[in-house]
Amino acid sequence: MDLEKFHNIGTSTDWIVMVVYFIAIMLFGTYFGRYNRSTKDFFFGGRRFAWWLIAFSIVATGVGSHSFIKYSAKGFEAGFSSSMTYINDWFFVPFFLFGWLPIIIYTKIRSIPEYFEKRFSPSARFIATVLLLFYMIGYISIGFLTLGKAVLPMLPTDFTLLGVHFEVTLMGVVMVIAVITGIYITFGGQTAVIFTDLLQGFILLFAGFLIFFIGISYIGGFDIFWNMLPTEWKLPLAHFNEPSSFNFVGIFWQDGVAGSIGFLFMNMGLIMRFMATKSVDEGRKAATFNILFMLPLSAIVVSNAGWVGKAISIEFPDIIPPNTDPDQIFVVVANVIAHPGVFGFVMAALTAALMSTVDTLINATAAIYINDVHRPIKKFLKHIKEDDKITDRKELFSARVASVVVTSLGVIGVLAFRDFPTVYEAHGFFHSTLTPPLVIAIFMGLFWRKFTPAAVIVTFIGGIALMILGANYPGILIKPFAHGTPMDERHPFSYIRALYNLFVCFGVGFIVALTTNYQQRLIAWIKSHKNDKVIIYSALIASIVLFIGIVFSSSLIVLHPESYLEITLFLFAALLMSALVAILVTYFVKYDPEMNTLGLTVYSLKKAKEMFKGSKINDREGEKIVVNWKLKDTDEDIIYFSKNDMKRMEADPGDLLYITDARRWMGGLKSVHSVFGEPHDEDGIIYITREHLEAARFVKDRKLRAEKEM
Amino acid sequence: MPPFESTWLPYLYLYGVGGFFFLLGMIIIKKSGALDVAKKSHRRWFKILLFGFFYFVLIHGILIIAALYW
Repeated sequence: MDLEKFHNIGTSTDWIVMVVYFIAIMLFGTYFGRYNRSTKDFFFGGRRFAWWLIAFSIVATGVGSHSFIKYSAKGFEAGFSSSMTYINDWFFVPFFLFGWLPIIIYTKIRSIPEYFEKRFSPSARFIATVLLLFYMIGYISIGFLTLGKAVLPMLPTDFTLLGVHFEVTLMGVVMVIAVITGIYITFGGQTAVIFTDLLQGFILLFAGFLIFFIGISYIGGFDIFWNMLPTEWKLPLAHFNEPSSFNFVGIFWQDGVAGSIGFLFMNMGLIMRFMATKSVDEGRKAATFNILFMLPLSAIVVSNAGWVGKAISIEFPDIIPPNTDPDQIFVVVANVIAHPGVFGFVMAALTAALMSTVDTLINATAAIYINDVHRPIKKFLKHIKEDDKITDRKELFSARVASVVVTSLGVIGVLAFRDFPTVYEAHGFFHSTLTPPLVIAIFMGLFWRKFTPAAVIVTFIGGIALMILGANYPGILIKPFAHGTPMDERHPFSYIRALYNLFVCFGVGFIVALTTNYQQRLIAWIKSHKNDKVIIYSALIASIVLFIGIVFSSSLIVLHPESYLEITLFLFAALLMSALVAILVTYFVKYDPEMNTLGLTVYSLKKAKEMFKGSKINDREGEKIVVNWKLKDTDEDIIYFSKNDMKRMEADPGDLLYITDARRWMGGLKSVHSVFGEPHDEDGIIYITREHLEAARFVKDRKLRAEKEM
Repeated sequence: MPPFESTWLPYLYLYGVGGFFFLLGMIIIKKSGALDVAKKSHRRWFKILLFGFFYFVLIHGILIIAALYW
């Protein structure tokens, strides 16, 4: 069936509203850019914010990434089950709140790959960095693709400017959007992103519900809308295993498992947002509130245009044809039901939200670059020791350059996804393919002390090799996992391949971890041999050759996807390579099972907390107090309280503290962390340094609220 | 009436398999001491985690019943 595609939707009023909205949002974000004093502030916002501020700022990130476009498309095709991906994230919340979140904060890691170095080895960090950059840039590409598809229906098919004729293409639109996005993020930083997202979170919810209410009213009321839809369309979960383009079981593994873990554990943009909260507990509150309340609301907000569009297409097929391109349905519905100007506002809110997501991801990817590429290279080159402030200024510049490069790569990445029928399927394929190795590696590292460097590297390399075999031989390898899902020849098992990929990554890592003793015995035997170097380097060359042979097999030879003999040989090669890699890692990598797990697994969280503080934890519960402040001429990061105030707070010298402007509505924007000094006798007065004052931008004569952190 | 594969099978699978992961998470964080129910604040988190699970069980259950019978 040919899909109906729209162009030139909207009026000049809508365009004016959109331009004004964007300028206002950019000015708003730029204002908060002044809170960036270091790379720490640029990327993490200085670990200062209240939970509610972060919870609402995440809405724009979540809604933007799981966008209006793709869920409206599925809402139009399948009904209310388009909402299921928003209401299946709770299963992994215990792992996140009491596993990953406290560990990333207490270990003071600045990126996920850094965790891999501390927990396993530098080589594990290197591979994790490569995989994570692929994941983040892929995510940015999906964001750009969605943005392009959102704006395209509003544009003409072609135009002439200064005598030159231009055709409006998806890639052309994406490039223009990338330039605008890149400019904003390059000069904003994390604090700007948080506050812009906070504002946009509210606007998005408002715009989404506005579309819903206007749409229902357009149809004639909720009863008419409800009764018009077939029963299958009202069900909240899709059919178990049909059709291949949208089925429950595939989407459960792709989104509910790989996607949920990926979003909570791997999405550096989201993690950095939680790291910007003032404490672990505030991060937990932000995540919980978001998943319990904001995601179900967001499900309605992002999908309803598709539901309304379906109802209109049943009642008025001449207004919205049933064969409308699903990826255009949001824009088409918004234009049909909203007045000029209102449509512009809705489109501005939508595109700005998508930009928020892309901004957050670009910021996060630049953080990974600085932390996991830039700094290790400088360290490797034994760069001349500089003053910290000069280093920080240079890194801030490098971060901005990295943002531009990442934006460009994100645009190029769109080419890999643009041929999928809908953004939803492109995103599903992306999640199924790129998340499993990292998801399994993070999970096993956090929750299983016996997971070794050999196991994690085999999870990455062996897992990738087996995933490639799955992609080359889906009918043999993925089908047994498919739960009866039909195979689409063009995009085989886009969703359920996540289960196969998770299984193989888990399987090889698990077996290698279980056989650690055998590997060590084998290494001892090899080392006792006089030709040990020859054996090891032969194994290294063999594993490289096998890996390259598997990765590029589809380019090197003509594959026969139904050939059991061929796949048996490839499987043998993949498993042999995995075994060789396990032996090589055990041989080369120095690993201390005690030191490398201390404070880095869920089993030693208390130790992680002590390491964070640098001394024993003070768990006594004290009061939060309101105080006035005075300046003290010292460079030490210490704040001085009175004896009585410290007693009320149950604090001792050396404990960690947090002070913020006493106005709660500021959400911690003006705040700073420090350490208790020796007490004085002036009750209600604290002495802070000029550095505290400049970092927090406290206002003269404004009271502060102080609390002991630990 | 839509088939079982469209109504209750996805629901049972979602909270059966998803519930297994959730239970596993609860057991691991409790056994490891990361969630220490001797602490008052952690007891509150324990209840919130359980509430969240049954909250979503209820939401989906109600939505399926509404689709079928309302």
